[in-house]
Amino acid sequence: MNEQNDAVEPAAATSEPSLLRGEVAFRLLVEAVVDYAIFLLGPDGRILTWNLGAQRIKGYAADEIIGQHFSRFYTPEDREAGRPQFLLGRAAEYGRFEDEGWRLRKDGTRFWADVVITALREDADSRPYAFVKITRDLTERRAAEEQQRNLAAEQRARVAAEEALAARDRFLAIASHELKTPVASLQLATEALLRARDRGRLDDARLVTGLQRIGRASDRLGELIGELLDVSRLASGGPATRRQPTELCAVVREVAGRFADHEPDGRIRVSAPAEVWLGADAARLDQVVTNLVDNALKYSGETEPVDIEVIDRGGAVELRVTDRGIGVEASTKDRIFEAFGRGANAEHYRGIGLGLYISQQIVARHGGRIDATDRTDGRGSVFTVTLPREVPAE
Amino acid sequence: MSGRAPRVLVVEDDEILRDTLVEVMGDEGHEVRAASNGEAALELLAAWEPDLIVLDLMMPLMDAYEFRRRQRAGGLAGDARVLILSAARDLEAAADRIGADAWLAKPFRLLEVIEAVDRLVNERAA
Repeated sequence: MNEQNDAVEPAAATSEPSLLRGEVAFRLLVEAVVDYAIFLLGPDGRILTWNLGAQRIKGYAADEIIGQHFSRFYTPEDREAGRPQFLLGRAAEYGRFEDEGWRLRKDGTRFWADVVITALREDADSRPYAFVKITRDLTERRAAEEQQRNLAAEQRARVAAEEALAARDRFLAIASHELKTPVASLQLATEALLRARDRGRLDDARLVTGLQRIGRASDRLGELIGELLDVSRLASGGPATRRQPTELCAVVREVAGRFADHEPDGRIRVSAPAEVWLGADAARLDQVVTNLVDNALKYSGETEPVDIEVIDRGGAVELRVTDRGIGVEASTKDRIFEAFGRGANAEHYRGIGLGLYISQQIVARHGGRIDATDRTDGRGSVFTVTLPREVPAE
Repeated sequence: MSGRAPRVLVVEDDEILRDTLVEVMGDEGHEVRAASNGEAALELLAAWEPDLIVLDLMMPLMDAYEFRRRQRAGGLAGDARVLILSAARDLEAAADRIGADAWLAKPFRLLEVIEAVDRLVNERAA
């Protein structure tokens, strides 16, 4: 009967029935919403209404939940902490309060909920007569987000693994190339001596030259193997630096003297005070100076000078090696200190790409730093090592 | 080239290999010159035409690829055979790219390089 009456009611009827009809329609609409749990709570937190969404999300039918206290949706921990009352209090205070957290379904399983509680009042000053609670189940979204995070982490791990693999390949390519060259020299020089002897062409001069070549190739091979061993020791935490009072200028002069024997007169220039003491491992410092001078010689023309300077800066000591060579390209400034990293313009020079890496590691172990810059007054580069002065108390 | 000794240019940055190869090729009766990089090799080619270029791939200042590009562009020693010596991987592809007639991977035996040089200069003579 009612349906019929409703149906015949004219569209432009009085406002009272139309308002009523609006409320009915709204209630039906809310009841039919399935993606959101929308229900009313009394001021004491008891459940007054229920919709399809609430049934779907929380698992209770309307007749088994209406009249119950809404705290049963909360986890025991949250109930213990008084969270349900706290949220109602906040909603009463601010008019509206939003929360995200774990809630319980009827079957005891948990879901991740996004909750908005809105206080309903007769007027602005009165206490709420009810609360509207709208809950969304974000479990899937949360799982998706977590999956996304896991995927991203996996992706990062994969990229890191690929980079490590690429670095290893680069190492193998460079190491094998660099190791094969002195082996080729050794082999060829040896066979050339034997062949010359077989043909009766082996005089003293040739024998000496040949043996010297073999000696140089063995030295080179020994150096390369030493570098590789240093790197593997560095990778495993060592080698231990024994810091003792060390006189840097003597180390520098010693290294310069070793190189000067094979270089044109005056190519290697040393500028240093009489003595500068610091706490350092002398053998390791020797290695750093050797690597820097070797680099400076290698990447510059055969007669271009290389300057080694020691500067006393009070609390710190500075060692500077300046060349007039190919310089350091800005884009590869950081890479040159990495293991097997080489400047873009340095690819075809002999070497394995470990000298600067080893030097950087040694300097870091002394609490110092190493930088590369271009010369400001012309072609070439400047490598600056800064070491703290302190001599360990013993 | 009939009547004269085969001419071999050795382009190699490793001093020991270079000097030893020059010595050995000389013993074989070849006329040998040497350069430590592509740039120096190009300078030599301007006034001297070898029958064979023994070429290292990776050298400072100018590597083998750039050397070959400029050699071709300049029409220098266009008929010379090319033998690559290198410790790099995938030499076959490199030889292909560079237009080389043969290649030997470092380290190589002395006899291998003597034989390869003989074969290439004889091919050139035939």
